[in-house]
Amino acid sequence: MSNNATQAGQRQSYLPSAEVMARRRRSRYLADGAARWMVRAGGGGVVVALALIFVYLFSEVLPLFKGASVERQDSYVTADSEATVPAYMALERYGEIGMRYSRSGELVYFRLGDGEVIRRVDLAVPEGVRVTSVGNGEPRARRVAFGLSDGTAIIVDHNHELEFPEAGVRNVVPDPSFPVGPDPVLVDDSGEPLTAIAVQESRDDTGVAAQTADGRMLFVRYRVRTGFLSGEREIEREQHDLPAFGTPVTHLQLSANLWNLIAADAGGSLIYWDISRPAEAVMRDRREVAGDQGESITSLQFLNGTFSAVVGTSEGNLSQWFLVRDETEDAGDNVFYLARARNFEQHPGAIMAIQPEYARKGFVAVDDAGHLGIHYGTSARTLFLDRVSDEPLVGVAVSPVNERILVEDRAGTITEFDVWNEHPETSFHALWSKVWYEGRSDPDYVWQASSGSDSFEPKYSMVPLTVGTLKAAFFAMLFAMPLAIAGAIYTAYFMSPRLRGYVKPTIEVMEALPTVILGFLAGLWLAPFLENHIPAVFTVLIGLPLSFLFIAWAWSQLPRGFRNRVPGGWEAVILMPVVCLLVWGLVELSPLIEIWFFDGSMRQWFTDIGISYDQRNALVVGIAMGFAVIPTIFSIAEDAVFTVPRHLTQGSLALGATPWQTVTRVVLLTASPGIFSAVMIGFGRAVGETMIVLMATGNSPVVNFNIFEGMRTLSANIAVELPETAVNSTHFRVLFLAGLVLFAMTFIVNTIAEIVRQRLRARYSSL
Amino acid sequence: MEENHQATQIPKAGVSMGSDRKALNIEREEICIETRGLNLYYGEDQALKDINLRIPRNRVTAFIGPSGCGKSTLLRCFNRMNDLIDICRIEGEISIDGQEIHDRNIDVAEHRRRVGMVFQKPNPFPKSIFENVAYGLRLQGVNDRRKLAEVVERALRAAALWDEVKDRLDDNAFGLSGGQQQRLVIARAIAIEPEVILLDEPCSALDPISTAKVEELIIELKDRYTIVIVTHNMQQAARVSDFTAYMYMGELIEFDDTSRLFTNPRRRATEDYITGRYG
Repeated sequence: MSNNATQAGQRQSYLPSAEVMARRRRSRYLADGAARWMVRAGGGGVVVALALIFVYLFSEVLPLFKGASVERQDSYVTADSEATVPAYMALERYGEIGMRYSRSGELVYFRLGDGEVIRRVDLAVPEGVRVTSVGNGEPRARRVAFGLSDGTAIIVDHNHELEFPEAGVRNVVPDPSFPVGPDPVLVDDSGEPLTAIAVQESRDDTGVAAQTADGRMLFVRYRVRTGFLSGEREIEREQHDLPAFGTPVTHLQLSANLWNLIAADAGGSLIYWDISRPAEAVMRDRREVAGDQGESITSLQFLNGTFSAVVGTSEGNLSQWFLVRDETEDAGDNVFYLARARNFEQHPGAIMAIQPEYARKGFVAVDDAGHLGIHYGTSARTLFLDRVSDEPLVGVAVSPVNERILVEDRAGTITEFDVWNEHPETSFHALWSKVWYEGRSDPDYVWQASSGSDSFEPKYSMVPLTVGTLKAAFFAMLFAMPLAIAGAIYTAYFMSPRLRGYVKPTIEVMEALPTVILGFLAGLWLAPFLENHIPAVFTVLIGLPLSFLFIAWAWSQLPRGFRNRVPGGWEAVILMPVVCLLVWGLVELSPLIEIWFFDGSMRQWFTDIGISYDQRNALVVGIAMGFAVIPTIFSIAEDAVFTVPRHLTQGSLALGATPWQTVTRVVLLTASPGIFSAVMIGFGRAVGETMIVLMATGNSPVVNFNIFEGMRTLSANIAVELPETAVNSTHFRVLFLAGLVLFAMTFIVNTIAEIVRQRLRARYSSL
Repeated sequence: MEENHQATQIPKAGVSMGSDRKALNIEREEICIETRGLNLYYGEDQALKDINLRIPRNRVTAFIGPSGCGKSTLLRCFNRMNDLIDICRIEGEISIDGQEIHDRNIDVAEHRRRVGMVFQKPNPFPKSIFENVAYGLRLQGVNDRRKLAEVVERALRAAALWDEVKDRLDDNAFGLSGGQQQRLVIARAIAIEPEVILLDEPCSALDPISTAKVEELIIELKDRYTIVIVTHNMQQAARVSDFTAYMYMGELIEFDDTSRLFTNPRRRATEDYITGRYG
């Protein structure tokens, strides 16, 4: 005690009192705990934010893969529906009225919900004449033709119009019209009954194709002219005989441009006539549709745009067919043949009716086992297929906005369904596999999301975008990786510390360069420059390394006294003027090389030998994006090499290794985890990079790895198309899917990088 | 052989270290390393001051002295590791086997092969035990697996490590204990048949048992190699070395037969240090 006191007296303790220290301690613990929780909250917040992004993207994408949902609404019987067979049924877009044609030649407009008849139109079928055939045009043309037993036809448009009797009230009013007049028009001038008929509207013309009872095929074109002064309607008629065909035709369909006629015959075949020049019409092709004995074609309809036809059979098979250009050499120009593009899920009963959707490539089909099926062409998806009636179904109609379906069964009961079917266009297959799009000669990967035409088939293949992304990243890495890693090794290991002090920050500052400027330079300066100096690309590629070797050799030949005057690690500086001079010289030489070896234009030469050359190509992107990625890779790799412990390099040198042996055998090995993660982070950046690829690639979604062609990347595609797409459309959601794919790609790359890095680090670091 | 022969021709002048210096019985020894008027500067700072020293062949020579006295720096001069330091400048002569090591036609890498070095901290490479030992041979272009295996075994036996690692030659060297790692590093050094082995505080990071093993090894190795060891541990110097140099503030204070230096130092400063009165 006394000892303590004397000590205290001798040596003043500056520590605070026990009480103060206790208080201090409490506040220290508090600060410690608070800091710990803040760090946890921060880290957790990052994870949660990432998860939320993922969840959001996923929630936007998920509806793409949902099927259709169908909800049964009212069932009713409308005028005569029990007594007559429906020939064609239709809906208008407001969901207020429905139209029903009977095979005996009536058109009934009825109210949806209860089936009350609003208007009944009896066609002017003359006494003693029967309806022998019915044909329909594109749904949006709302045109139906009745072929009669005296060789004439009646053509009806089941139009409607809108009335606004007072503010806020909208009435949909039936407005049937007869484009070539209400009376029967002559089709067959020899007066034979028309056993099959097709009708189509083409601008102001109406085309009708028919087969007569004696087996002749006819094509008649009606043009209505209104007299300029008299105001009288005058109908021009132009009849062509088509090459006939032996067996009777059961179904006929005309394309919207009146160039193609497709028929189904009783033998289960599909027949195609080219009538683009009606006077020289030819029967081009005939294909078996039905497989088994006894299978027959029971339904034939064109999908929207009339490029492809859907065929339904008595066995419930559904298949899509379209015309494909014959590209064999002796085929001649514009010769097409029928190709079966795909089959759809089989219905359990014979297909009784098919109704195409109005603005998409989908259709609904009903069968005699009471099933309703909703199918989609491009994606080959069957979105809904279920039994909805105990009776065989004989008629079906779909609304122009695809939200309502009407079916009629044999007993004449009409049933309405509410439908949600927003995204039938995509499926895993349609996104990632080759799809045979309408009119193409082969299945292919295509991205073409929009077009000016209503009958356009959107092509949502992720493959060109994914390949483009990888291609851009690949060429960027090809350019950046050797430069960045070699530069990092040199800077970290050989360069004098002072020079390193300048070089490293300079390269790191490059990272701050806005990529939009790099993209701008690449697209507007570099791309045309390279196009005009293609030989220089190759000569520099070969000449630069050779010149390095030569300079190094020449340097070693210089007298030692001179060499000693250059401080160690500064030798690289003398390469600078050499590089500049050589590149300048080779660029200047480039036009001469083109003249000497490539007839003046290397670009033309490439084209001649079958390599396509785009001005904005992967080479430009590789250089520009490589430039953007180099600082990332360089900086991390340089740190990795620089932090290789001194005692390892010294240990190696002390064993008689040269500096180069030390680098290749010890330094790189030890730094490999860091270099690897540098490369992966650079790759991740190249994958996600947007502005440079947007401005310097040409954005053509091609699937190839040609360095002289462009590409479109996932990120650039989102940037280009998102502003012009409708919110919540399929296109919109597919763009989100592209985002999700991008997200997944970078996520996977980074995760792999981290795992590999951890494993390498566990292996190569003792330290 | 030629070099060795030459070395014997070197005139065995007395070591001139101070006026009171008596001739050592070093003259009876064959000289392996010799420095004359060695000054070393780190930029403006002089780290070694006029070092004149003769290190005998096939003996263990220890450098002792307080931290920062320049003993490691001197050691690193012998295999030119100081070349790696930009600001380091050397004046004077260092010759090994009579050959000036800064001579223009000396290849640094070959010189370092002849003068092996073991560092304070065990520094195996991130490779297998086998590849660590084979490293130096592979550098020389020996890649024949059979020859390598033979040399590796011989080196590991020489380093008294063979029995401990023979069953796991392909394991990573980091799996060894610190003492084993240090012996592995010694094996790695002797695999390339050096003439001199420089040990820079080889036991400072080791536990006493490992230290004892390394010391035994050093004594065994001195028949074949000239060994120079820097140590902080005077008992170690006394146990393993034949000759001892005491350095202080960049100067060589005393160099003598170990037993003489520890029992009867000529200089007051040396006595203060070895008796622990220093610092």
